[in-house]
Amino acid sequence: MWRPSGVDRATGVFLGLVALSLVLVTFDVRSSGSGGLGETLRDGTQAVFAPVQRFVSSVTSPLVDAVEGISDIVSLREENRRLRDEVSQLEAQLQETTALEARVRELEDILGVEPPEDLATITAQVFAVGISEFDHIRVIDKGREAGIAIDMPVVDEGGLVGRVISVTNQTARIRLITDPTVRVAVRIERTGETGVVTGRGNGPMTLEMFNTDAAILEGDLLVSADGRFPAGISVGRVLESARAQVGFSLRTSAVPTAELSRIDFVKVLVFTQDEAALVDIEEDTGTPVTVPVEDQGPPSEGEPEETPIGETAGTTP
Amino acid sequence: MKYRRAIIVVVFVVVALSVQTTLFARLRPFEAAPALGILVVIALSRHLSPEAALLTGFLTGFFEDLLADSVLGLWALTLSVTAFVTVRIRDRLADDVTLVGPAVFALSLGALALFAILSTIFGQKTLADAGLVRKMLLPAAYNLVLGIVVLPIASRLLEVQRRRAGGWQL
Repeated sequence: MWRPSGVDRATGVFLGLVALSLVLVTFDVRSSGSGGLGETLRDGTQAVFAPVQRFVSSVTSPLVDAVEGISDIVSLREENRRLRDEVSQLEAQLQETTALEARVRELEDILGVEPPEDLATITAQVFAVGISEFDHIRVIDKGREAGIAIDMPVVDEGGLVGRVISVTNQTARIRLITDPTVRVAVRIERTGETGVVTGRGNGPMTLEMFNTDAAILEGDLLVSADGRFPAGISVGRVLESARAQVGFSLRTSAVPTAELSRIDFVKVLVFTQDEAALVDIEEDTGTPVTVPVEDQGPPSEGEPEETPIGETAGTTP
Repeated sequence: MKYRRAIIVVVFVVVALSVQTTLFARLRPFEAAPALGILVVIALSRHLSPEAALLTGFLTGFFEDLLADSVLGLWALTLSVTAFVTVRIRDRLADDVTLVGPAVFALSLGALALFAILSTIFGQKTLADAGLVRKMLLPAAYNLVLGIVVLPIASRLLEVQRRRAGGWQL
């Protein structure tokens, strides 16, 4: 006959630990955003644990490479065909883009708008992820010593990946744009209309437009608007066309242009805004000034390199 | 000797969480990974004294909290509950080993569901995740599969230590 053993004493310990957990929760919620002991503990743990993670990562990477290699062979033929199509499309786009660039330059001259300053970038490699499926974070191998600071945007060759949420001397943690707590101000490249995308974890992000009159078409490219991120970075593509109905907001879904499930190398943009400006922008959500992002080329290790904010790879007119 | 058991527990937890955050960052069948923290707590709680099992659950959870993006204390609470339930049912699992697999699946699923609810209450919007059900079911299923390896290893290590120490106390 089954009989629980040592339950009474265990229950007392259990209740004590539950109480302690709730104290921790309260403490962390109250001190969130202001640094404090919670952030210090997290940063310290990440700094201590990073070498262990790096070691385990280096030991297990041959195994993972082998598994990925096998699965990649299956998809290589299809990938080849897709890439050939993409190259021909990109060649056509390149010609259009050259003409458009000249036209933008003319318009900027006319409007007296200064082109955006070049942003320095720091190339880093992702070596660890969050502890659970509910964590939408990545850990990169560059930190404060490389010049990374909290709130800096992170991109890959596809577009916006997320932003830095904590930094140690040699590592930094990135919160992905698909996190349900993240909202990104965006602009539809085709129409210039602005809106907000909200992360929904693994699923497509939610896109909500401020102006409900203009229709959204499937495949529309969303680029970042002014705010926490520099304007013009590719954020996502509209998944379904949508048209506003009377009395309803204009809402649809979008998928990130960055390959978030297979991030390897990323670039951290050395871009910060002062808090006052941030608050203004986030509360106001006014029409932003946007500029397309330029392809970064192959990543290189070491010092921050100058990278113009221009078009993002894979964009379509 | 009790220090050796403590070291085994610490190494077990550290290795599990390292593998979770590195190996399973890339090896993600169907875009999901097992929840090794939960699995390790279940595996260790079957053999430690109730108090030690609860403490292991709490500290493993606290360690996860420090590595996670969630509010501090949520994983500690979740894994304390997991350890407590494991301690309560472990005698039944010892009587009928066919229940171990379903118990690992149910405990993993329950722990992930509890975490999702708690983190939503504390502002993490976890329940708003579009892939929530998949994020709970797949890791629980993977835990069930990995349990075939992890549970015997934990049993072997801790049982050997117990026999040498001649007692359950950590």
